[in-house]
Amino acid sequence: MLFKILEVYARPDFPEKLRQHIVLSLVALLVAIAIAMPVAVMIRNTRLGAAIAINIGNIGRAVPSLAILALALPFFGIGFGSALVALTALAIPPILINASTGLREVDKGIIDAARGMGLSGSQILTGIQLPIAAPVIFAGIKTSAVQTVASATLATFIGGGGLGDLIVEGYSRKGPEILLAGALAVAILAIITEVGFGMLERAFTPKGLKIAQKRRG
Amino acid sequence: MIEFRGVSKTYPGSEKPVVNDLSFEVPDGEICVLVGPSGCGKTTSMRMVNRLIEITEGEILIDGETNTSLSGTQLRRKIGYAIQQIGLFPHRTIAVNIGTVPKLLGWDKNRIKNRVDELLDTVGLAPDDYRDRYPAELSGGQQQRVGVARALAADPPIMLMDEPFGAVDPITRVGLQDEFLRIQKDIKKTIVFVTHDIDEAIKMGDKIAILKQGGVLAQYDTPANILARPDSEFVSSFVGGDRVLKRLSLTRVGEMDLERANGGTDDLLRINGGLTVKDALSELIGSGHTRAVVEKDGENGLLTFEAIEDLMGGTSDEDSNGGESSE
Amino acid sequence: MSNPALLLLQDVLEEPKLIDWEWIKENFWEDIVPALQGHIFLSFISIGIALIIALPVGVLSARYRKAYPPVTAVTGALYSIPSLALLAILISIPGVAIGPSPVIIALVAYSLLILIRNTVAGLDSVPPETIDAARGMGLTNRQILFRVELPLALPIIVAGIRIATVTIIGIATIGAYINGGGLGTLIFDGIGRQFPTMIISGAVLATALAIVADLLLLALERYLRPWARARRT
Repeated sequence: MLFKILEVYARPDFPEKLRQHIVLSLVALLVAIAIAMPVAVMIRNTRLGAAIAINIGNIGRAVPSLAILALALPFFGIGFGSALVALTALAIPPILINASTGLREVDKGIIDAARGMGLSGSQILTGIQLPIAAPVIFAGIKTSAVQTVASATLATFIGGGGLGDLIVEGYSRKGPEILLAGALAVAILAIITEVGFGMLERAFTPKGLKIAQKRRG
Repeated sequence: MIEFRGVSKTYPGSEKPVVNDLSFEVPDGEICVLVGPSGCGKTTSMRMVNRLIEITEGEILIDGETNTSLSGTQLRRKIGYAIQQIGLFPHRTIAVNIGTVPKLLGWDKNRIKNRVDELLDTVGLAPDDYRDRYPAELSGGQQQRVGVARALAADPPIMLMDEPFGAVDPITRVGLQDEFLRIQKDIKKTIVFVTHDIDEAIKMGDKIAILKQGGVLAQYDTPANILARPDSEFVSSFVGGDRVLKRLSLTRVGEMDLERANGGTDDLLRINGGLTVKDALSELIGSGHTRAVVEKDGENGLLTFEAIEDLMGGTSDEDSNGGESSE
Repeated sequence: MSNPALLLLQDVLEEPKLIDWEWIKENFWEDIVPALQGHIFLSFISIGIALIIALPVGVLSARYRKAYPPVTAVTGALYSIPSLALLAILISIPGVAIGPSPVIIALVAYSLLILIRNTVAGLDSVPPETIDAARGMGLTNRQILFRVELPLALPIIVAGIRIATVTIIGIATIGAYINGGGLGTLIFDGIGRQFPTMIISGAVLATALAIVADLLLLALERYLRPWARARRT
């Protein structure tokens, strides 16, 4: 069986499917960051804005991935672009929630001291709020990334391509090795994403915060 | 010099002002303590000096110029700011924390480094040990010292301090207060200091401004004068029923004008001249005697209840002018 | 491009007739309601079974820490298998493929990780002093578990139930692909028949169901945690 799976990876269309899956996930994630981060930054000091953002995020997290992908069909047609729109929408909530919460939960005493010393609003944002919120923000990005890789599997149903194609193919043609090959590939991709973004998260955690975490630990 | 001229603050949508027509002057090099019950507007008043809160009416003048002539950010870089929660940046080293304002002002690296080391020394933290540490590695008392160092960093002529020693236990707090007073003797900053604790106000202040609910000034005077002659019922009760005893803590027995103790003093209680009159009285009463010997600079003075009474009946100066003991 | 049916779909979808209300009225009781009922049924059963497994395992893992890492490893591994794949695999196993069982098995498998993790986290969050006080008052271990630890751990456990339920509702939509029933049936049939109305009904209802479940459980979570209700941001 193992050999048969490896044979699937050797197929000429495999690299293309892998590429589609990665591109779908990556682009959706990047666009989601580009949308969610500015919003989180804008509402960081207002209570109402934060409440709205967090509620939208929470509701967004509950929505079934397949439903959003399916809804893209009647409005955007089939294909890669459609899947991309749906996956982007799905990728926004975890980032929005974490970025909003992270920025708002920076200790108010620290921000007051910073203001009192004469740091300007943008200096406080870039020098204090963002670095301190960075671990939480990156955790949100990581969650979104892993979730997006998994959801991209479903893009196959609206003609978006990706590794889900293999799973569907294996299922309909009763070729278990094709199915397993597809499943394994997605699982490995998800694990790589989790580990990779985990390292990114640690890399962007300021040293002083790591020490504080350990002390609380 | 800091001057409050008819300063009021009313929040929009609110009927009552939180600070009401406040007027007083803080002379150069002195500590003025704003003290009062919750809701008296003391913190709000302090924060109007560096415009973290904007004035609704009146003005605040710093060395003759209104504090609105510069932008808020520019103004704050010239005023030291130390708060109760300290607010050290957890993601930066102690050295970077302290050097924040100098860096904003464009000092060069070496100057900043030297200044940081100098300040760490001043607040009693060995520079080599603490410079590169992070706030999470320091105790509460150490963090509070760094907070003070950070406020002093750019050598601002004025400082605002809001319960700066509030986050530690009482024993550590006394130590920090004493050290700060010692530092102030050298640097002579003009300071607005906020506290809710009348004892801290008496200890730290050259002048005390007692505020009532609604931000009204109840009395503005030296600690000795406020204790000796409270203006109103409110001030009297705020200062506390042990007002007279508090006055006793303003003077040290060694400063009193005491009759010399002659021979026959071997069996009497000996009291160190560095003790406050209040503590000395406490020891005297506890000893069961009516007299004690005060040691200071090799000389012995005779401490009696009458001597203390005379001290209280004397003038309003902080320096004692205690009369002769009636012997 | 994978599926030939989708190529045909592309042509048909040029027409802007998205929602055919007539069809909805006609087929409401025939197609839509059964799908909804099936979906709710699937979700309930799955979360129920998952809880029956996860709670005891969670409690035991909290007690016997050595068991926790392997438990996390196994449930975590199950969680990382893409849902579509797991469903397809399960249905290929002979004997498992009857009716909704493969879907239920998959749904249960996916929720185990979060339920166990939150049970352990919930129990961990009980302050040791509280347990100490209870022991000092003479409660037995069993009483402490049921009268002190679990009630205090409840908010976090319910938070886990909330996430698991929403996940289950989501994956159950995919279950229709292997004939598991539920609202996904409307979606896949709609795609196959090139009929946007079906797709939209299924998708909208599935989304609504998930959101309602989320909000109800959120309310329950808040209710169980009165000290957090009054929190100001």
